[in-house]
Order: sequence, then C-alpha cells, then structure tokens
Amino acid sequence: MATDTTTTTPAAPTREERDRATRTVAPRVDICELEKTYVLLADMPGVAQDGLDVITERDTLIIKGRVQRPEETPDYQEFELADYRRTFTITEDLDVSGISATLKDGVLRIDIPKSPRLQPKKIPVQTK
Amino acid sequence: MEARLISHPWTEMRRLQREMERLFGDVTPSWRWPLTGDYPPVNITRREEGLVIDAVCPGADRDSLEVTAIGDSVTIRGQRRSEPDLGEAQYHRRERPQGPFTRTLSLGDRLDPDRTQATYSNGMLDLRVARAAETAPKKIPIQS
Repeated sequence: MATDTTTTTPAAPTREERDRATRTVAPRVDICELEKTYVLLADMPGVAQDGLDVITERDTLIIKGRVQRPEETPDYQEFELADYRRTFTITEDLDVSGISATLKDGVLRIDIPKSPRLQPKKIPVQTK
Repeated sequence: MEARLISHPWTEMRRLQREMERLFGDVTPSWRWPLTGDYPPVNITRREEGLVIDAVCPGADRDSLEVTAIGDSVTIRGQRRSEPDLGEAQYHRRERPQGPFTRTLSLGDRLDPDRTQATYSNGMLDLRVARAAETAPKKIPIQS
C-alpha cells in the first residue's frame, strides 16, 4: 500500500516571504568620481539621522534607511514611504577606512577616498 | 477635493499606473518620477482645521523652495541642483533627476494664505493649509 508521504509540517518561510515582510526599496543614486575620491549620493526622503545605517563589510557597502510612516492614512495618496536598502560592491581601488557620510534634506552623501596604493607613484631612477 | 483631483484624465492615468506597479509587487516610490508632470508627489489628509499636504522632494535647494497659496490653489516650486563641488566630477551612474519643478494643486476649498505653514525636513515638505473663514451666504435681491 502506498503511504502518504505528504508532510504536514508547515514549511519554514522562504527567503522571498521573509523579504516581503520587510519590504524595502532601492534609493536612486548618483556615483561620481573626483580626483581623490568617489562620491555616492542617494535620495532617501523621510529618513532622519538616527534611522540611517551605512555599513561596510569586506567588499560590500550597504546603505539602509528607516522611514517614519504617518499614523493616519491620507485621504488622497500618491506615494507610500518604504524603508530603503541598497548594496554596492567596493572595488580594491577604494580606501574604506577613510569613508565619511552626511545626510542633508533627505539626500545621503558618502565620500570614499581612492586607495593610496593606486595613486600614481614616481619611481626614482638610480644611476650607476 | 478627491473628486476634483482624480477626475482629471491624466491624474487618473497616473493613479492607474501606480496601482499596477503596486499589483506587480514593485513598490515604485513616486519620487522616482522625473521632475516633470506631477512632481513632487503628494499625500493629502483632510483635518478639521484645514488640509495637510506632504510632498516628497529630497535635495531641493532651500533658497529655491517656494510655496504660494491663492484662491483654492497651492503651488510648490523648487529646484534640485547638483552639489557645488561636483561640477567637474565624472559621473559613473546618474539616476537622480536634477532641475526645476513646479506643481499646482487645486484643492476645492478656498484657502487662507495667512494661516498656511510650510516646513521642510528630511527631504519632505509639510504644508498645513488653513481653509478661509466661511463667507456668509448672500441674499440676492430679485428685481422685478
């Protein structure tokens, strides 16, 4: 007789389900290069200073922002605030130890210096 | 108020587009729109004393930000400029729109500009718009 092998144990929440529970949006960014630094600008409206996290982890830079949602539902609604999250890969030409971040009017600015190892170096030529 | 805002065909199109985006699971923030058309996006809450308008406009140049109220309309003007020290930077990615924006909202109620307040923090513009004091009904004499 065939046995019913169907499991009745509820499956653990899938990754997708967990992600949906804490739904985030990726902020829009600009990334540009100056002579000695890279600058990243991210639009994160609704995020206050204490709701912002900038994390570097090996070759990854993560920016996260928690927004304060309004208590009452608007009568007319065009936007919905959601928490922000976006991940970037940091290449080895950046010096993560010198990173700095500021938040102004809903725009996050991160300055990352270029690695001194990759700065052009002049090699003195010795004469014999 | 809602009826007036939604009855416009373009506004209705936008609303449908937003609904579709929501249905397909992409919480597309409204501030991803370019700075033309309905920018900045707003939420409106009706209160007893007036209306609360929340607008999303991160990185607006504070000197350029201007709110005017006349009749039943509120106009929001501003400009998004690039950072002063990044004028000669070489861009690798550019997703954030720049430039001037203007939006006029017809709210359906006569407003009192003297009792209208605006605050700008964390890239959100918060307007508290007071309604004009009710004008007494006027009796029109009928001429024979």
